[in-house]
Amino acid sequence: MKQGKVFSIEEFSVFDGDGIRTTVFLKGCPMRCVWCHSPESQTYESEYLRSPNGCLHCDRCLDAGEKETGKRVLSRASVAACPRNLVRLCGETFDAETLCERLLREKDVLDASGGGVTFSGGEPTMQAEFLLECLRLLKGKLNRGLQTCGKCPPAVFEKIAEECDLILFDLKIFDKAAHLKYVGADNEDILINFDIALRSGAKVVPRMPLIPTLTDTESNVNDWCEWLNERGVKYVELLKYNKMAGSKYKLAGRVWNPPFDESIDCVVRKEIYEKHGIEYKIV
Amino acid sequence: MTDKVKEFLAFHRKREYRKTRRTIDFEKIEPEDLNMWPATVMKQVSEAEDLRLYPQDIFGFNRSVANLPDLKGFHMGNITPDYPFALKFGLGGMTNELRRLKSVNPDKAAFYDGAIAGFEALEKLAARQADEAEKQGNTRLADGIRAILSRPPHDYYEALLTQRAMTYLLRVVRMDHVTMGRFDKYMYPFFLKSLEEGATKDELLEMTELYFISLNLDTDIYSGIQQGDNGQSLVLGGRTKESEDIFNDLSEIVLCASEELCLIDPKINVRVNKNTPLSRYERCTRLTAKGLGFPQYSNDDVVIKGLTDLGYDYDDAVEYTMAACWEFIVPYVAYDIVNIRTMNFPKAVRQATIDDLKNCKDFEEFFACANKQVDAQFAEHIEIAKEHAAREIYPNPVACAFITPCREKGIDRINGGAKYNNYGLHGLGIAPAVDALAAIKTRVFEEKSITKDDLIAALEANFEGWGELRSLLLSSPKMGNNEDVTNDIAVRLMDHFASVVNGTPNGKKGAIWRAGTGGSMDYVYMARGVGATADGRKADEPYPSSFSPSIGVKANGLISVISSFTKPHLVKTVNGGPLTIEIHETVFNHPDGIPKVAMLVQNFIRLGGHQLQLNAIAREKLLDAQAHPENYPDLIVRVWGWSGYFNELDLCFQNQIISRTEYGI
Repeated sequence: MKQGKVFSIEEFSVFDGDGIRTTVFLKGCPMRCVWCHSPESQTYESEYLRSPNGCLHCDRCLDAGEKETGKRVLSRASVAACPRNLVRLCGETFDAETLCERLLREKDVLDASGGGVTFSGGEPTMQAEFLLECLRLLKGKLNRGLQTCGKCPPAVFEKIAEECDLILFDLKIFDKAAHLKYVGADNEDILINFDIALRSGAKVVPRMPLIPTLTDTESNVNDWCEWLNERGVKYVELLKYNKMAGSKYKLAGRVWNPPFDESIDCVVRKEIYEKHGIEYKIV
Repeated sequence: MTDKVKEFLAFHRKREYRKTRRTIDFEKIEPEDLNMWPATVMKQVSEAEDLRLYPQDIFGFNRSVANLPDLKGFHMGNITPDYPFALKFGLGGMTNELRRLKSVNPDKAAFYDGAIAGFEALEKLAARQADEAEKQGNTRLADGIRAILSRPPHDYYEALLTQRAMTYLLRVVRMDHVTMGRFDKYMYPFFLKSLEEGATKDELLEMTELYFISLNLDTDIYSGIQQGDNGQSLVLGGRTKESEDIFNDLSEIVLCASEELCLIDPKINVRVNKNTPLSRYERCTRLTAKGLGFPQYSNDDVVIKGLTDLGYDYDDAVEYTMAACWEFIVPYVAYDIVNIRTMNFPKAVRQATIDDLKNCKDFEEFFACANKQVDAQFAEHIEIAKEHAAREIYPNPVACAFITPCREKGIDRINGGAKYNNYGLHGLGIAPAVDALAAIKTRVFEEKSITKDDLIAALEANFEGWGELRSLLLSSPKMGNNEDVTNDIAVRLMDHFASVVNGTPNGKKGAIWRAGTGGSMDYVYMARGVGATADGRKADEPYPSSFSPSIGVKANGLISVISSFTKPHLVKTVNGGPLTIEIHETVFNHPDGIPKVAMLVQNFIRLGGHQLQLNAIAREKLLDAQAHPENYPDLIVRVWGWSGYFNELDLCFQNQIISRTEYGI
């Protein structure tokens, strides 16, 4: 039985595909996008987080952590120490069968609304074996979606794509050098994997995050539109930059220091999409 | 929105007119015949009114007197009065009909005289209102009133005007919580008549909006626990006895008016069933997105069956409406007291824990003890309700003229004139009680990670010094996560509750008790004085609103919540009380948000939920409104079965609302 690390299971996720869906967020990501809004998703290792909503700032969590580990950090003991139950372990280990059982509990509602389950992250393909086992266990039982950045060895991605009914595929920066600079990885595999996704038979939805001055530029949007056009893809979803992106950094005990001006609104370059005959939807 | 509506709305929002009302030191008149009291008060108050009209006001009947003479004991409420009677006869016609009924039932002259005197006072008030309107050049209102004084209303405007006058009368004679019932059913013929005579839908929308603003003008002086708790709720859609869906163009206009005005009244309920199309839910979700806390949904498949199981005739049950909050009532013919007492579930479980846990060898024994506490509370409620009934000695023929059988037979509700005289028992704090039971089952009996003695000591110490034990309780299974342990306990606890309550005679002839899942202001008031409970809740902390996950519980999510809360046999708890869920307002701004929330509601109904109330809410906004109330004069929130202005709520209710949003998605 394959085990995997999940950092959140979100029911009724409105933004991750058709119908009513449950999204499973797998921990760990090969990329380090400078605009990442879920820093707790980046590493594979589990970590303890404290929710700021309702926090009394009594620091009993840190006292307990210190007692347990010798360092003033959150630890296992912090979970029980919090009087409001706000400290949680981010990164719970599941075996595939248990996770799928849990997801199938809500099959009735998910099916009735034309929805299903979406595996997201982090980057879910980082836990390829676990993901594959889950997808296979759910085959024919639930609509299986994948939300991916596309950064994955193509041979592995091909196997995963074959097991998906829906692929939400992120397209970030087209220019190789800029991609490397702002995303922390090259985009060669991503371009290959998008074609694999298109061939897989799954419904593919390209999604472009609009990050002010980084991905919403005229040239970047134009490059992607041309590239989509060559493949006959006539539809794209646009994700507007979330100005709260930095809020979780504090929660995870990190510093948020984006190399772009957050106060600028991202631009929807309507005319470019229209020029290429690509229908877009802001989600 | 037209300029007329904008002007009237702006005028209302300033609320300046409220400062110009008078307070009167009414002369204390005590007629020998109690039957004459309500009419006497109506006469006193109506004669004191200055009959003011406001800019763009086409409905009048505004209150210029802020207070009312004492009518203690005469009050009644939470019923849907017989609007078809008023619409069939008009203002003058109703009085004549009462005179005719008196001649048929001469032995009931005292009842009819009491009623007729009240209606005559209303006619006089109406005539004066018409004169005043004419004087101010408002010929439309003057003509309208004169028309309904001399004959039945014939179009939509006259029908609304009739209802306006009737509502004035009822509130003065202390029918508090005058609910509006199936508005799109009884108003529809008049609406069609207006269309037929050339009115456009836009004109009728404008008229509806002006009417709704009128309904809000005097809500600050209506009786209620908090401002906004006044019972002006109406019902849209639902089936007829021929199983036809009545949702129509007028229903759509009501939704549209409510969406444009964003006022607290009227609160809107929508009746749906398993075949209601998704588009209907989408339409209603657009109203939810406004953040007013309505519409509230109710499920015809469950409620009609539940009511007929309780003994209501099918023809009555199929017409069901909502009382002020959520209680399912039968309009026109019933005098049910739907909120007479409240079962305090967490208190029952706590009592069993303190008294009996030590002696229980397994969970089943303990569960039986908890059920016995439920029985004991119910026995107390029965006794207290008897005392309540013994105090019901004040006849109110004016109000009873709007209960069909009372009117037709000349028998007041206190003498059993109504067709149904049942009592409703709210079921408060079901989720925290289930959570407490589940914690005891898993921690004490299965894992044995908490000893009985420690648990009892911790509850008695209000968890002082028992932080880790409390954390264990807090992390125990919670209702709303769709787990077998909590689902099973909820089903069994509620089945027991319903089996004890439903059908138990309430002492009135042929009348019974009915079980529900609601809990009004008691989620704050009745939680006070209840010590710590085994779900981890500390003494005095509030319960969740009605039938909802415990406060502070981070449930798996909304799909699990609707699945869990539809597991119990809700057909047995049709005294009502909604599952209440909070969804962050940003979800509704997303293009997929509206259809997906609509799907969620549709699934809740499909799974057999009885009632659902959704709030679009932003916690940050509520916190900011507490800090800077001056910036949020019009912020509306759902409080329990009704919506009110956030700034006008007591702090304890503001805080309960904020705390239940902590885990809203």
